[in-house]
Amino acid sequence: MSVQEITFVIIAVIGGVSAVRMVTSRNVVHAALYLVVTLAMVGAVYLVVAAEFLAWVQVLIYVGAIVVLLLFSLMLTKAPIGRDTLDNQQRGLAALVGMGVLAGLAFLIQDSFGGSKPITLHQATTEQVGVTLFRGFVWPFEVVSVLLLAALVGAVVIARKDDPAGSRRGPDRRAPLRRGSEATRR
Amino acid sequence: MLSVLGQVSGGPAVAHGKLLFRPIGPELILVGVALAVMLLDAGYPERHHATLALLSLAGLAAAAAYSLSLWSWTGPTTVLGGMVAADRFTVFFRLVILGVAALAVLLSYQYLERADEVRGEYYPLLLFATAGMTLITAAADLIVVFLALEVLSLSLYLLTGFSFRRLASAEASMKYFLLGAFSSAFFLYGIALAYGATGTTNLAGIAHGLTGQVGPLSLALAASGLLAVGFGFKVAAVPFHMWAPDAYQGAPTCVTAFMSAGTKVAAFAAFLRVFDVAFSPLIWDWKPFVWILAALTMVVGSVLAIAQSDVKRMLAYSSVAHAGFILVGVTAASHAGIQAAMFYLAVYPAMILGAFGVVMVVSGRGERGLTLSSYAGLARRSPLVAAVLALLLLSLAGIPPTAGFIAKVAVFTAAIQSGHWPLALVGVLASVVAAFFYLRVIVLMYMQEPVIAGGQREAETGFDAEPGAVGSLGFVAIAVPALLTLIFGVFPGILFGVLKSASIIRF
Amino acid sequence: MSETYYQSYGIVVALLIGGVGLVAVAFGAARVVAPRRQLPEKLTTYECGIDPVGEGWSQSQIRYYIYAFLFVIFDVESVFLFPWATTFERLGMQAVVEMGIFVFILALGLLYAYRKKVLEWV
Repeated sequence: MSVQEITFVIIAVIGGVSAVRMVTSRNVVHAALYLVVTLAMVGAVYLVVAAEFLAWVQVLIYVGAIVVLLLFSLMLTKAPIGRDTLDNQQRGLAALVGMGVLAGLAFLIQDSFGGSKPITLHQATTEQVGVTLFRGFVWPFEVVSVLLLAALVGAVVIARKDDPAGSRRGPDRRAPLRRGSEATRR
Repeated sequence: MLSVLGQVSGGPAVAHGKLLFRPIGPELILVGVALAVMLLDAGYPERHHATLALLSLAGLAAAAAYSLSLWSWTGPTTVLGGMVAADRFTVFFRLVILGVAALAVLLSYQYLERADEVRGEYYPLLLFATAGMTLITAAADLIVVFLALEVLSLSLYLLTGFSFRRLASAEASMKYFLLGAFSSAFFLYGIALAYGATGTTNLAGIAHGLTGQVGPLSLALAASGLLAVGFGFKVAAVPFHMWAPDAYQGAPTCVTAFMSAGTKVAAFAAFLRVFDVAFSPLIWDWKPFVWILAALTMVVGSVLAIAQSDVKRMLAYSSVAHAGFILVGVTAASHAGIQAAMFYLAVYPAMILGAFGVVMVVSGRGERGLTLSSYAGLARRSPLVAAVLALLLLSLAGIPPTAGFIAKVAVFTAAIQSGHWPLALVGVLASVVAAFFYLRVIVLMYMQEPVIAGGQREAETGFDAEPGAVGSLGFVAIAVPALLTLIFGVFPGILFGVLKSASIIRF
Repeated sequence: MSETYYQSYGIVVALLIGGVGLVAVAFGAARVVAPRRQLPEKLTTYECGIDPVGEGWSQSQIRYYIYAFLFVIFDVESVFLFPWATTFERLGMQAVVEMGIFVFILALGLLYAYRKKVLEWV
């Protein structure tokens, strides 16, 4: 086993353990911090396969922005922290499904790449990513700006600072979704 | 595999030396108008609701006119480096979606005014969703499909939760968002596996890569399965339909009308495009999967709708069932099957948008009067609305001489011609079952007593039955779909003539 | 190529291990050597020597969430600026126009958010 493979195994083990700890921990904030470790390990895997730009984008966006957003939303919604509040009591079925997915993916990868020869790694520098982006993928790039703009409008919808029409009436908390029929089983 | 990065950068966009922008003109117009509406709303804080709505309508009309001019496009079929298609398939679906959006603007204007929830962010979000829908029908590359899907979904999550004062709306938005994000993850994984199998995300490139393959096809099969799951969620096929009843019920009714009509058309257009172009070499592998999806969806959608007493939930399950019927056309996968599915996708938005429009009109101010009992004796109180609803429900049930009947006939004929007669049988049985709850509403409207005037139940239903209670805009928004249903039911040849050239899906 | 790449990241990994190891050794030594006496007072929250009142969570405000939300959006925009910065000389005017459109659309969004008072702190 080469050094890269050993490194990959170590990173994968750390990432796997922290992912399992993330879904089984009882404290939501602990789960968010385990998520940081998991995402950082994914970034480390990108480094091992010489996708340098992608690794740092992963750390910058996922760990740096998304986990922060997650923690702020936990604070905002005052997520319950305590025993038995994070579970819907389906551990057995969930574990079964997880194992099934893992088996399926392992079979898939083994079947597709099992007989391949090792390839030489081609380092994907930021420059190459830039050239590809602005030569071949111009239109998706502009669509991304529209997507981000839609998200910005969403921020305005959420924040709803100036709303004179709404200030006359308070929230209508009387009616959550009424089920059309009690006999309906979903 | 990692050296493909070097190959992709020398794509056709560079080879031509210039970028052709005409085929994406409609999306550019829609985004530009959305920006203009946003800035108008930000610049003039006093509510100019009518101005915003008119500007949106003007933008939609301009985009529709531009799309129509693309019908006679003679340039290359895919432009911008193989990202966007410029064929008649795209023009057809763009026109359908833009029509849906225009009617939705009319409905929204009336709804927002009456529910006292006028906020300027509505119209830009509606226009972004429409731009996402038109872009997804024009996509020729899986990355563009994904991005357009995300633009459309994000705008719809926000629109579903627009009535933030009602807890039901926030709950609906939450459920739609959680399940939608999950299915986007499946979709993206499918794209990654498709790239892993063929080295490209271009639809034509994937087909090319799969035809010559002698090795194991497991990656490509897994990719097609995951993409089918992603699309199945978007069109609310069983068993990915769980979000639909709650999202349709909780969203403001004008958004439900837009959502139920537009997303199905856009998602099915992309479904047809991806599976009939990119995965066409694997057709005998994905057909059984779509067969099962279609059968399950038709049966479950029809059966579950019977037990509903809330009109919006009932229409939500019926819309699930209609997705099943369209999937029958997709399963057929022949030229006739694609034509039938496209015909269904042209008449179905009219039917469902009209139906939800009537629901909005009958429910008066906000979201009252949504139980079936509010429709009792509607023929007595407002004969015109009742007649329109009766026509639309007959079309949804598939009873001649409406367009719904022709659509079902086309879809089942295509299935039988492709040898899937058991599926057509299941479909006919499901239609019979579904006819029950459609006719139940018609019976309620015409043969039951209306609620006692001035009684407590009248206050509950919210529909005043006075002249002008329907509103002129609301009436236009429900009359146009009803008229279209009748016209295409009696003269389906108009659409089929157009579809002859519009259903050429390969490029 | 690969050797220098892995060598340089090997130095980074060594530094990380050194950093984590230092903290681990310090805390581990403390845990091994220090005396332990569990008292209930030791588990209460520290509030500058005064007895703590109320629970640990206070009423959060949406402005923090909006701040983080806007940060995510503009962080993604800056991520797209990185590859552009390394290649725009090579790609010429076309890339400048493309990035200009991207930044312009998001600048319009920022202007919209500003006019809608989303950027106000109080």
